[in-house]
Amino acid sequence: MNKLISKTLFYYTILAALLLLLTSPVFYLLSEKLYLDDVDEAIHLRKTEFANNSIHSLTIDQIPVWNKFNRDILILPDTVTKEKDVIIDEVFYDTLGVEWEPYHVLYSSIKIEHQPFVMMIRLNLVESEDLMETTAFLYVIALLVLLIVIIIISKLISNKLWAPFYETLDIINDFNIEQHLLPNFKTSNTKEFEQLNHALKKLIEQNINAYQTQREFTENASHELQTPLAVFQSKLDLLLQSPTLSEEQAEILQQLYEASSRLAKTNKNLLLLAKIENNVFSQKENIQLTKIIEEVLPYFSEQAEEKEIIIESNFDKESSLSTNKGLTEILINNLLLNAIRHNVSKGKIFIQLKNNTLHISNTGSVYALQEEKLFKRFSTNTKNAHSSGLGLAIIDQICKMNNWKVSYRFENHLHQFSIFF
Amino acid sequence: MKILIIEDEKGLAQSISLYLTDENYKCELAATFEEAIHKIKNYDYDCILLDLMLPGGSGLIILEELKKLNKQEGVIIISAKNSLEDKIKGLQIGADDYLAKPFHLSELSARIYSVIRRKQFGNTNKININEIEIDLLSKTVSVGNKDLVLTKKEYDLLLFLIGNKNKVISKNALAEHLSGDMADMMDNHGFVYAHVKNLKKKLADNNCDKYIKTMYGVGYKWES
Repeated sequence: MNKLISKTLFYYTILAALLLLLTSPVFYLLSEKLYLDDVDEAIHLRKTEFANNSIHSLTIDQIPVWNKFNRDILILPDTVTKEKDVIIDEVFYDTLGVEWEPYHVLYSSIKIEHQPFVMMIRLNLVESEDLMETTAFLYVIALLVLLIVIIIISKLISNKLWAPFYETLDIINDFNIEQHLLPNFKTSNTKEFEQLNHALKKLIEQNINAYQTQREFTENASHELQTPLAVFQSKLDLLLQSPTLSEEQAEILQQLYEASSRLAKTNKNLLLLAKIENNVFSQKENIQLTKIIEEVLPYFSEQAEEKEIIIESNFDKESSLSTNKGLTEILINNLLLNAIRHNVSKGKIFIQLKNNTLHISNTGSVYALQEEKLFKRFSTNTKNAHSSGLGLAIIDQICKMNNWKVSYRFENHLHQFSIFF
Repeated sequence: MKILIIEDEKGLAQSISLYLTDENYKCELAATFEEAIHKIKNYDYDCILLDLMLPGGSGLIILEELKKLNKQEGVIIISAKNSLEDKIKGLQIGADDYLAKPFHLSELSARIYSVIRRKQFGNTNKININEIEIDLLSKTVSVGNKDLVLTKKEYDLLLFLIGNKNKVISKNALAEHLSGDMADMMDNHGFVYAHVKNLKKKLADNNCDKYIKTMYGVGYKWES
């Protein structure tokens, strides 16, 4: 992909080169013609001068003397067969330069003392060729200089002209809908950029509004669900007190408890997601990851006991982070919970904290999970009765909030989630 | 013991009332803001259960009103809005506890039990139940003159069972109570069984395991 300015300059250069190629022969020919016309005019002038000033006082005896001192106006006997009164091209041997040189020559018949003679007027073209070459050379130089100047100027102008555009581009690049801050575009005095900024602002505003509505909906829906859930659960608690409860009914009650607890958990997680998106957890403090992990580890070890899972941890030296403590705890908890939940009996979990990266890997299914679906809401790879389908979405959201990176790998029969802080 | 239940959701208020009435509490209901204000101005209670979102006004205003009236009631906020700000605000204004919906009635009952005891006996507080004595301050348990060494979880479990004396507590409620903040982070309730078993064993060493009854694997009950 090329920058706009490079493209502009590329076309400028091509155009300039074409212009140079096409116009320089024209210019050369034109200046040559001008010069030759000039030469011819000079020849005619000399002829007129000779006719007016010299011919009357010239005698036949003086002709050898005349010819001796005049190199370019010679009086020759009337035996010359060349065409008369027309300027023709001819080459003469130059004894000084020791080479043949081109001349424009005019032969014309004259009468000296009533005797017919031929007068030859010639002008050397060597100087004219030099002149023309120099002129053409100068022309090319001038064009090149012009081209360079144009390139520099357009670069400068383009940088200045397009500055608002690049500013806008930077602002859009930095825009994050989750921070729900309407970007502040600088006003530009260029109509097109002002239009662009205006259109972008409108687009972003609409997006933020849609996003806000969706988030509010999730939050409100979750809140609304809490009360009926509370009623439901309280009725179960009452039912459990019934003195005539049979074992069968107790079994059903237990299943209802499980379902209600799962419902409550899913609802809580939805609410949590909405809250993260609503920036409720924006307060930051310095936390030690190792400390957080070590705090919850006993709890998870207890949970892992039933499946006889062995948890091994290996921490680098303490690394501290400035972030929200509650969210980080949720992140760690969800990762560990998944590692236990999707583990096999007598499985293993490895927790490693190294170079600001947390790796949690666990044994489990022999197949890799589909990474592209992994972090989406309610798109669990493995159907698990306890899973809310939101755990990884929450992890992903927390990472996004903090500009951390989360990745999944399946290697050596281990499912590994890594968080790059 | 008189308890005022300020809650606009009838089904929930009824459940709470039924559950608590069984435990020898006398319950009154208030479903609107006005009703609640009227009741707290005219009567005294041992504990008030307060929903924050009420028709007619915020529960936080009721809380402020209670403070103005210089009332000594223990207040437990029960709210659908599990937000930290509300919790902090409520506790700052003078609530004694905060319980987010949905909750188990056994959890609520245990909290009421604890709030009332704290209000009535201050911090030098001993519970005597059957032949067991629990010192809430030092968190020690003894049977007769013999100390019973319990883990923190077992101690919590014992208190929870006693706070719901003669009630069946569901395994789920126990699991959530024992895991506290980590309640959402659990898949199996096997650990509840393990803790109950251990507690029972320790009590059995002192011949008082007979009080803990298992209800078909759904729940447990302290019977006395």
